[in-house]
Amino acid sequence: MTTKNVHMKIGEMKTATGLVKNLEVSIGKIVDDSWAEPMGPTPMPSISALRDWDMKLLTKYKPFYMPDCDLCCLCTYGKCDLTAGKRGACGLDIAAQSSRIVLIACSIGAATHTAHARHLVDHLIEKYGRNYPLDVGGLNVKVEAPVTRLVTGIRPKTLGDLAEVLDYCETQITHCLSAAHTGQEGNNLDFESKAFHAGRIDQVGMEVADIAQISALDFPKADPEAPLIEMGIGTVDTSKPVIMCIGHNVVPSVGIIDYMKENKLDGKIEVVGLCCTAFDNTRYYDRAKIVGPISWQLRFVRGGFADVVVLDEQCIRTDIFSEAERVKAPVIAASEKNCMGFKNRTNDPADEIVADLVSGKVPGVLILDPEKVGEVAVKVATKIAPIRRKYRVLPEIDEIKALAKTCRQCNMCQRSCPQDLSIPVALKAAAEGNMALLADLYEECIGCGRCEEACPVKLQIHSFIIKAGEKCMLEEKNYCRSGRGAVQDTEIRNVGSPIVLGEIPGILAVVGCANYPHGGKDVYDICREFALRRFIVVTSGCSAMSAGSYKNAEGKTLYEEFPGEFAAGGVLNVGSCVANSHIAGAAIKVANIFAKRNLRGNYEEIADYIHNRVGAVGLAWGAYSQKAASIAAGFWSLGIPVLVGPHGSKYRRMLLGRADKPENWEVYDARTGEKVNVGPAPEHLFQTVETPQEAMVAIAKLCMRPNDTWKGRSIKLSHYIDLHKRHYGCMPPDIHLFVRTLADVPMTMKDEIVKILEAKGWKETVIPDPTLLPRMIRKKKE
Amino acid sequence: MSMFSDIPVDVGVIYEGERIRRNDMYVELGGPTVQEKFELAKVRPADTIEDGKVIIIGPDIKDMKEGGAYPLGVLVEAAGATLDEGLEGVIERRIHGYMNFIEGFMHLNQRYDIWIRLSKKSFQKGLNSFEYIGKVLHRLFKSELPIIEKLQVTFITDPEKIKELYPQALQAYEARDAKARGLKDEDVDKFYGCILCQSFAPTHVCVITPQRYSNCGAISWFDGRASASVDPKGPVFAIEKGELLDPVKGEYSGVNETVKKKTLGEVNQVWLYTAFGHPHTSCGCFEAVAFYIPEVDGFGLVHRGFKGVTVNGLPFSTLADSTAGGRQVDGFHGLSIEYMRSKKFLEADGGWHRVVWVPKEVKERVKDFIPKDVVDKIATEEDAQNLDALKAFLKEKGHPVVAKWAAAEAAAGEAAPAEVKEEEGAMIPMATAATLPIMAGGFKIILKDAKIYAKKVLIRPIKDEKKVRAG
Repeated sequence: MTTKNVHMKIGEMKTATGLVKNLEVSIGKIVDDSWAEPMGPTPMPSISALRDWDMKLLTKYKPFYMPDCDLCCLCTYGKCDLTAGKRGACGLDIAAQSSRIVLIACSIGAATHTAHARHLVDHLIEKYGRNYPLDVGGLNVKVEAPVTRLVTGIRPKTLGDLAEVLDYCETQITHCLSAAHTGQEGNNLDFESKAFHAGRIDQVGMEVADIAQISALDFPKADPEAPLIEMGIGTVDTSKPVIMCIGHNVVPSVGIIDYMKENKLDGKIEVVGLCCTAFDNTRYYDRAKIVGPISWQLRFVRGGFADVVVLDEQCIRTDIFSEAERVKAPVIAASEKNCMGFKNRTNDPADEIVADLVSGKVPGVLILDPEKVGEVAVKVATKIAPIRRKYRVLPEIDEIKALAKTCRQCNMCQRSCPQDLSIPVALKAAAEGNMALLADLYEECIGCGRCEEACPVKLQIHSFIIKAGEKCMLEEKNYCRSGRGAVQDTEIRNVGSPIVLGEIPGILAVVGCANYPHGGKDVYDICREFALRRFIVVTSGCSAMSAGSYKNAEGKTLYEEFPGEFAAGGVLNVGSCVANSHIAGAAIKVANIFAKRNLRGNYEEIADYIHNRVGAVGLAWGAYSQKAASIAAGFWSLGIPVLVGPHGSKYRRMLLGRADKPENWEVYDARTGEKVNVGPAPEHLFQTVETPQEAMVAIAKLCMRPNDTWKGRSIKLSHYIDLHKRHYGCMPPDIHLFVRTLADVPMTMKDEIVKILEAKGWKETVIPDPTLLPRMIRKKKE
Repeated sequence: MSMFSDIPVDVGVIYEGERIRRNDMYVELGGPTVQEKFELAKVRPADTIEDGKVIIIGPDIKDMKEGGAYPLGVLVEAAGATLDEGLEGVIERRIHGYMNFIEGFMHLNQRYDIWIRLSKKSFQKGLNSFEYIGKVLHRLFKSELPIIEKLQVTFITDPEKIKELYPQALQAYEARDAKARGLKDEDVDKFYGCILCQSFAPTHVCVITPQRYSNCGAISWFDGRASASVDPKGPVFAIEKGELLDPVKGEYSGVNETVKKKTLGEVNQVWLYTAFGHPHTSCGCFEAVAFYIPEVDGFGLVHRGFKGVTVNGLPFSTLADSTAGGRQVDGFHGLSIEYMRSKKFLEADGGWHRVVWVPKEVKERVKDFIPKDVVDKIATEEDAQNLDALKAFLKEKGHPVVAKWAAAEAAAGEAAPAEVKEEEGAMIPMATAATLPIMAGGFKIILKDAKIYAKKVLIRPIKDEKKVRAG
């Protein structure tokens, strides 16, 4: 707890022990230093404070550039051609420019989460007061804010403490972004280091946002048995008025749910959500429903299910108001960041706004008071639902057939489709009355709507696809576990022994959107594969929804099939985007809980610990916004590898290790100070893969760490070899790089592998107490 | 070629977690519907068994009816120059792991409680004989435990034969348990050390003796012995006991030397059977914590699964945090549940006679090992949820610690036991008028027209010297 600018004046005071006259006390800052943990070397690091650590990682995992664009058009000197080694007017080359764009993306992502956090914290302080205590998980969570403790050195106890943490984040994001100005930073690795820094700040911003809402809004508190939530458009009861909330910030939805409850309308109105708002709604009210991931918002809005659309912030289609207008659903914009051109009606009487929206006088309004949003949304939905029932929103099959005949087969739709889907062929079939091909596209389409923009005869291709796939859409009835929040300290203790003994081969975090043809199914398959293999599988955001959108042979979704604990074979949904911080938080807590390493302002040491010991891998399967870049950067700087799916080349650069260079894989053995070659574990820090099969092999491989006990390594190798054999049809070519002693060799493959080791001239080495930091070499005490 | 190329299904550790549901099952062996079933490992003289031989007494899998449940006995007989009966338990427990590596072959439980299912899919692939299962066991045992020179496996499905052998198996378990529990530290020359946890807690060394299980509860002295003999360079190693320096506290010169070496001098001295002075270090994954409660001069015990707060107001997570990370912390002690069953359990501190509070779940589990004269005098969360209630309970029941209170009260005033609890309040009051007058050594200070400016004021808790009454 910190208090700023305390001033006190006493005229005269007599007590038994003394006399005080005209005493003035002025204190700049009162710092509660009751936290016994000593402060580490880098509390509230500046943009260069952790540069040495970043460079260590960036030397090991050099950026490999794949520029999405060879030009720079950020300033009016340009456009500058940066091909073939040319430098632009400011002197930057393509390497630095690519990293600069990464920095800008990460800064945007960090700013978005931090601004989200700021809005939440300010709002909650206004409502509950600065001194409202934080409670993330009751008795089972002692380390309430691992990321914040680690980065800032602050142990927050109240909402007010979080506001101070955000002051720091906001300053840092400003510095990060300023480095991207023309004529500032010039070196590509320095840009990368600053991008890592933006990632660190992003993790803090996310953590602040989530622990604030968990505490004040009483979300599930690190609960492995958070409720199962109905999910899918098929679960929405359209006989009731439907309010559809889109975005990431739960505050307006809380207004809606509270109003509904106060007026005993819960149960009479459906509150459904898309994207992270959907999750946070269910964390607040377990009868809220999840429609699906945000990538398909066009599908769900155009399907006409919503009577009112409420927008908050982030990842919302910016043309959503015109889409809503097509289906005569009024729109309420509820975030300052996203005013959508609507008139600000915050100060108007609610009933006036309701009348205007119901009569169609205005298509949408901006309301910045969440309570008023609640009242207006509920009233409008109730009044407009019976009227809207009459509208037919999707074209009938006959209409599609007739319209498809006007298709010129110019192929512009397919050319503009990011997935190159065979739309012209499907339209041709539709013209002949065969809707099957269009229906197939329903599963593959990522819902961007670019095809319609490109069509010279203005066919509503996306609507055709939705109609053809309508049956499929209405059958979407699944379960998703509501976001549980943090991982308990006690759960981490529970997995200590199985991780050490190799029974848990790794931790897989599937985050972001699965926005890719069949991406949802891919995510489901990957999660299930690793849950069956007794990995710990953590999900968040839209991927958590995708993971729950398919069923096993017994008709159970992933969340029904596997327990929600942080344990071998558990599948746990931490929650919305901002809950991603709990994944990094869990890794950070491992260091604190097992090795009693101090977290407070001690970033480098803890990142070194995690990088060398905690076998965690992140996976972001589909196309995603700038927030993906910053979330990934937060993991990179902790030394946790991240995999991205087939669209991953658009991230402009990968961070790849070189398995062929043994000198890159040396660590210090903290016990002896000697350098030990530990092999490429983990091999890459940021890598793109093209297929789910490739992803599975890479995940198994990237879980290896230098500290693995022989039991742990032999199990990790078994999974890597098994998946490699299954998907590539052969033994991995690099197996010898991962065997330190013969005990590492999986027992069921001993003879086969020993032969390979002999052929490769393998030599036994030791399992060190690994570190990249010379200062961590232990001094022998006599 | 792979070592299992002649087995019709795949063999690998990835099948370990495989579950076979009733609908997918071809046959069930043992399990809840079968009365008599067992698996047993025996060490035999080398000339009495034939290496690699698989014997099947009764119908083989292919002779069984689909969907049926059959009795099964598995007898693994091993021979080797350095093998002895003490390792039978270790060998026997590996049957579970190895059988589970077989694709479509699920093995649950152990001893007289085994439950096996074979999947339809694996049966169709050709896994239709115990011959294959025997071959897998033979190869894995020989490759993983090189101290086994010869190994023979017998599968018994003939109900008559099982009836005959079943009582013998029960007898063997009984004898083994009695021997294991009866084995004392004094009976052996070597203890075992384990540094597996150093992969996460780099300064922790576990010392495992016949009367002290590893903190995690996973490694007994016998397990330690097996691991060390299989992989002498591995993370589990023998410790020569050396000289017994303190028979009460459990201090051995050999243990001190080894711990000093393995912790690079962080820890020089270990007393195995006390929570005070130089207690055994705690890793991160201990099953339970013993925590000293100065107010009653006794120990509370709490296990990882306990959901609420303990009798002193702190939950497991906080207590665990007070001792974890390979440190020796006076009065806080990470340990295993199995150790609570040991006669040496906190012996120097009074053992169970010094324990005053334990969660009901743990008490039930170890009840038979708590001395009869004190078992009903130890409170659970149902008897006491705070220190006052605990004191009342202990007094009422006449717990042995109560007798010591009077003695302590006589000496009261010297050293009030310190609270280790941290200030938990979210809001610390700013300076109030009442705190302003300053007293210093009998002087009165008068502040007049004083202005005090401070750029920053740090508020720190006053650290009390922690004093603990030992023994």
